[in-house]
Amino acid sequence: MSMKVRALAGVLVLGILTTACATVKPWQRGMLADSCMVFDADSATAYMTHWQEAREGSMGGFGVQGGGCGCK
Amino acid sequence: MTRHLAGALILASLLGASLVAAPKDSLITDAPDITLTAISGKTMRIADLKGQVVLLDFWASWCIPCRKSFPEVDALHRELQPKGLAVIAVNVDEQQKNAYTFLEKYPHTMTIAFDPKGAVAAAFKLEAMPSTMIVDRSGHIRFTHQGYTEKTIGQFRSEVLQLLAENQ
Repeated sequence: MSMKVRALAGVLVLGILTTACATVKPWQRGMLADSCMVFDADSATAYMTHWQEAREGSMGGFGVQGGGCGCK
Repeated sequence: MTRHLAGALILASLLGASLVAAPKDSLITDAPDITLTAISGKTMRIADLKGQVVLLDFWASWCIPCRKSFPEVDALHRELQPKGLAVIAVNVDEQQKNAYTFLEKYPHTMTIAFDPKGAVAAAFKLEAMPSTMIVDRSGHIRFTHQGYTEKTIGQFRSEVLQLLAENQ
């Protein structure tokens, strides 16, 4: 096996090993619910976005609502 | 050698995928025998409340629907406590000062318990905030609610009344 293949395989293995995900439980979402995590924190921007979405028929095009707290 | 390497890579990918897609836990029927710490510092066991209908309401200061549910659940407590309902509002804020700030804004009569590390929430396998469990007089979780809408308090009321009428 050539060095090139080994190096490629090494990069792939390293890529797989360094990926990770963390599950945030519903009761741990206090930080995610902070107002600084919301894109449209001020109501004026939120209203303008809503108006623009309605005018252009692009509802949802500016992102989904909510700051990620997972509140239903 | 290349085949073995490819096989190992595929295996590693599948292993990673299986870690992400964890199996969903089965439904709980019995309330976990867990100890709660009340705002007063007193501890209480859910098992000690057998004989009463218990409504466990999980809330947090950052949970927007909780601002609606908290006072309505407290009103339900005031109405049905004489008939045998016990309400425990379990706070899951990691910073208790946030919970105290919330409590100052919302006067209450129901029991408040703190669960800053989420041990109680984990024992009840919460899937959303807010979540509410209604436990019957025998200690079985009979109703589970996730989220809160305008209709939810009416459902709580009818379910609690149903359980209060059982095994009197």
